[in-house]
Amino acid sequence: MEKAKDFYEKHKLIVYLILFAVSLVVPFVIEQALILRYICTIMMYATLAGSLNVINGYSGQTCLGQAGFFCIGAYTCAALTKNFGVSFWIVLPLAGILAALVGLLVSLPTLKLSGIYLSIVTLGASEIIRIIAQTWTPVTGGALGIKQIPYPNLFGLELFRPKYYYFIFLIIGVLFLFITSRVLRSRVGRAWMAIREDQVAAKSLGVETSRCKCTNFMYGAFWAGIIGAAYAPFVNYIESSQFTTDTGFNVLAMVVIGGQGTLLGPIIGSAIVTILTETLRFLENWRYVIYAIIIILMMWVRPQGLLGASDSILAGGKIRRKEKEQGGKKA
Amino acid sequence: MEYFLNQLVNGLCQGAIYALMAIGYSVIVGVVGMVTFTYGEIMMIGAFSAYYIFQAFGNNLPLAILAAFTGSFVIGIIVYKLCYEKFFNAPRHISLLCTIGISMLIKNLAQIVFGPETKPVLDIIENRTFTIMLGSVRLDIKLLQIVVILLVIVLAGTLTLFFNKTKWGIALRAVSQNKDAAYLMGINVKRTALIGNCIGSGLGGVAGILLSIYYYSVSATMGGAYSMKAFAASVLGGLVDIRFSALGGLCIGIIENLGIAVSAATFRDVFAFGFLILVLLIRPQGFVSKKGVRV
Repeated sequence: MEKAKDFYEKHKLIVYLILFAVSLVVPFVIEQALILRYICTIMMYATLAGSLNVINGYSGQTCLGQAGFFCIGAYTCAALTKNFGVSFWIVLPLAGILAALVGLLVSLPTLKLSGIYLSIVTLGASEIIRIIAQTWTPVTGGALGIKQIPYPNLFGLELFRPKYYYFIFLIIGVLFLFITSRVLRSRVGRAWMAIREDQVAAKSLGVETSRCKCTNFMYGAFWAGIIGAAYAPFVNYIESSQFTTDTGFNVLAMVVIGGQGTLLGPIIGSAIVTILTETLRFLENWRYVIYAIIIILMMWVRPQGLLGASDSILAGGKIRRKEKEQGGKKA
Repeated sequence: MEYFLNQLVNGLCQGAIYALMAIGYSVIVGVVGMVTFTYGEIMMIGAFSAYYIFQAFGNNLPLAILAAFTGSFVIGIIVYKLCYEKFFNAPRHISLLCTIGISMLIKNLAQIVFGPETKPVLDIIENRTFTIMLGSVRLDIKLLQIVVILLVIVLAGTLTLFFNKTKWGIALRAVSQNKDAAYLMGINVKRTALIGNCIGSGLGGVAGILLSIYYYSVSATMGGAYSMKAFAASVLGGLVDIRFSALGGLCIGIIENLGIAVSAATFRDVFAFGFLILVLLIRPQGFVSKKGVRV
């Protein structure tokens, strides 16, 4: 791990170039459309889990309702492109903005709340969004969902093969990673992390905690909306049952397995969960049993996730640090 | 008017079940100090234990309630050992995610063991309707509804007695108020938390069988929606106060049924959660006047 980090620090440019070349070649080397679809799914969930990670991992709020924002993005895209013939490329940012606005609405009652109250409000909001999608038949098609969502059109080329989606998801994912890493290094991002470490201390140092929490929610919801909009034509058929709270928990599990508060964690988590659930398909319900056991084991053995640091506050680092200090005093 | 009054009765009955769920939930949250997402699955296990009792011994309601309580009690021990015992000093989200994992585990194991289909629970209580005339308004009350409401009242009363009069109950309340102080008073905090968790789970199991009787069916995936209702109801009551949680459950039941009276039945959950969010917006600590515990 240390060596890999050192190598990365020394040869940043080479690493990026190699990654770039590999990602360009992948869809042309892999011939089977099915495997390519899996890779697309992994990239999609990686971005979605990343957007949740911005809320859960970086500002320390336990949001459980990412499926709702995802749902808004998907339905915005499907309804606008199918009913009004709006271009996919216009809908994409629009879906993100709409999800961000709903994120603002959700975050307003949560400003005063913390911990579990916040979790239940986000969970409830996600469920409300899903029920509205299920019942608002003229726009969302009701329980039947929306079928045959038009494929995006790029200069007359209809994008329907997994190969094309590979590039759509790749571009969105890289954009997300790049912008997020910049934001996290900015004033706003540092404020989020300060809130995670100690809200009272952050407030005393002049961080406007409520506004920062709002922007944090909106930022996370924005990317969830965008990835939702890209998801709709990818699967070509959406219905409300794809956005249940279980989907939200799934995404949460990806973040947790990969490591909260790390940029690469959600990608690893998404890869592990997706590969696990797809390759073990023949086990039917047993695969969820295995999956659940992995989550519990993870919490017992490595609560900070695969890539998380052991002294992170998310792993109970603060408490351990305190114990160490107390132990030191005794000795 | 007549329709609304009848919906009010339905709401009262459903609210009574929610109140029982919320009581169990707030016992768990109060005593353990951590939230749980396994509550729906615990209710499901209770309902299934009762279902198999009905299959084996006929319509024996007291025995079924006992079985439901015991079944959920045992699951409560497992949940406590896996999710709480190690994590009393760890950050909150770790045990929360553990309970999500357990919930997935139990739900899917139940689908494998009990089968994925919805099973009917019929004729446990005689299908009889009492009609009351209030002036010109006709009010229909089912025997089932009366039994459910009475059962909930009896259980809540027993629990209040248990909490106020017995040594264990007082220990549970002490732990719920302040763990450190309780520890200094010579209470075995971990064992008390285990007992509290199991009693809360047992009540959840009884609520599960009431739900299955009320809706005439039981299935492995029934838990999800109701666990969120229980959650919402106890949040309304300030999470740890038993009386206010029961009030929260009643409120949610009534609001849901009045809400679907003015709109469509599919909006049931929207009213429940909309009401919850509205209350949290105005009074974040729930109904309770003093600041609720920070969980």
